[in-house]
Amino acid sequence: MTTARKIGEPVLVVDNVSLSFGGVRALSNVSFDVRRYEIRAIIGPNGAGKSSMLNVINGVYHPQSGTVTHEGVTRRKVDPHEAAAHGIARTFQSLALFKGMSVLDNIMTGRNLRMRSNLLAQAIRVGPADREEIAHRAVVERIIDFLEIQHVRKTPVGRLPYGLQKRVDLARALAMEPALLLLDEPMAGMNLEEKQDMCRFILDVNEEFGTTIVLIEHDMSVVMDLSDRVVVLDYGRLIADGTPDEVRANPDVISAYLGAAQA
Amino acid sequence: MSTKNLPVIILIVLLAIGMALPLLQKDTTPGFYVEVVLGGLMSGVLYSLVAMGFALIFKASGVFNFAQGAMVLFAALSIARIAEHMPLWAALAATVVIMAALAWVIERLVLRPLVNQEAIVLFMATLGVAFFLDGFGQTVWGSDIYKIDLGIAKEPVLILENVFQGGILVNRDDAVAAALAALLVVGLALFFQKTPTGRALRAVADDHQAAQSIGIPLIWVIVWAVAGVVAIVAGTVWGSKLGVQFSLQDVALKALPVVILGGLTSVPGAIVGGLIVGVGEKMAEVFLSPVLVKTFDLAGGGIENWFAYVLALVFLLVRPEGLFGERHIDRV
Repeated sequence: MTTARKIGEPVLVVDNVSLSFGGVRALSNVSFDVRRYEIRAIIGPNGAGKSSMLNVINGVYHPQSGTVTHEGVTRRKVDPHEAAAHGIARTFQSLALFKGMSVLDNIMTGRNLRMRSNLLAQAIRVGPADREEIAHRAVVERIIDFLEIQHVRKTPVGRLPYGLQKRVDLARALAMEPALLLLDEPMAGMNLEEKQDMCRFILDVNEEFGTTIVLIEHDMSVVMDLSDRVVVLDYGRLIADGTPDEVRANPDVISAYLGAAQA
Repeated sequence: MSTKNLPVIILIVLLAIGMALPLLQKDTTPGFYVEVVLGGLMSGVLYSLVAMGFALIFKASGVFNFAQGAMVLFAALSIARIAEHMPLWAALAATVVIMAALAWVIERLVLRPLVNQEAIVLFMATLGVAFFLDGFGQTVWGSDIYKIDLGIAKEPVLILENVFQGGILVNRDDAVAAALAALLVVGLALFFQKTPTGRALRAVADDHQAAQSIGIPLIWVIVWAVAGVVAIVAGTVWGSKLGVQFSLQDVALKALPVVILGGLTSVPGAIVGGLIVGVGEKMAEVFLSPVLVKTFDLAGGGIENWFAYVLALVFLLVRPEGLFGERHIDRV
């Protein structure tokens, strides 16, 4: 299934990253890379440091040591909105949508970085500002069609069922037209049908938009079908890195992850 | 209608009955009654103007801005003093620039260094800003009583003479204030609902972290500038009515019960809350006070000063988040 895409050079390099909160070590000397156009999974049992890793990549946390290099730019301390400006988008494990706003407005906020007209022009809606809004709207409508959420466009997000909210979260991230998309447990809490839909969307995004994707999941079976390469974390340490088959056969993974799960 | 709204409904019904009771007194003419209600609504609009400033900033940044009253005073002072040298419209324009600059300075020097601090820390910081603005206003603009002349005739007009015996007296400047407030509300609603910046502001207000991760930086400075503009309108209206003096910032204290009643996070709540407080205290003063005097042999008077706070207290007991506020359900 991965033959159609040409996986390229590394676009994101995580080098020797360590992160701790007070005395608690969340990540210890973690290194891996993500190549262009690939779907890269980070898995591990609960508390392995997966979400911390994602938060480091998009600048929510600043690691005590180590570096993150994105598109050749190494940043020591970066804030989430700067990461966003560099083309890194993300979704959230516990949804962080703007609950009072409609689906459409939520997704439109994803276009914020690409808005050029100034405040005054927007307020009185003169020519260029109006044209800009319409152009952004067209992009957003395409994403809405793509994720099949046309029927709830005007609904306040807080009223949608969980599975649809997850889709809106993905849509908002896609509206940024990111080069790198971080998905924090996109399948968590979903039923089987919703999971299959989400898998299809992730593959389609990767294929049609050429977006590089990093996803976190603790449901191992989902990840194995979806990803090109897998990183396994346990207690903040990287214990395996390779193709799904390699990882599945790795004795450390079996004892730390599968073994623990089956015990 | 779910049962959790029941206490609120009962409270509102009680308020309505309380409002209707004076009509049963035989010496109350309908014309006088309407006049009192209108008078209450007009002063309510003025409370709403100040309360809106509170609600805007609280909604967007979770900061309770104690300095809103000082901002109103500062804006009024600046208009009054600048208008001594140039036409009123130019003074207004200059004041808009001044308030925007002020918003920027406050955001840079006070709020930004305190990002992610506890709410009480930010509140204390705004307390500091309030006292600074007080003193700084005196330093820059002087401490006499100044006036803002909107060019509106002072004498009241009689309206509806055909409907009510003797007609109803309405102050022109009150009517202008009400119209201004209505305009401001419509303008703010359009700004927040229809422009990309408004949308971004709503996003920041909803979830800071999510907004940052899609590339919206903390744009508090815009909210503070908007609150500054609201302060200008409030300052102009209050200033032209009462004269620009330091007691003007006390209207901010009157806005506290208004935001408690309406809900701290809601602009419509600020409007409705202001109207309820305005009408409520006026009616209490005019109709309740004589009853208290007669029944308990009290001196009477002064009800207008405390009624709003008691009303707010009752609302706090029944509905702590206010009429239009967001109910927060915290996971334990």
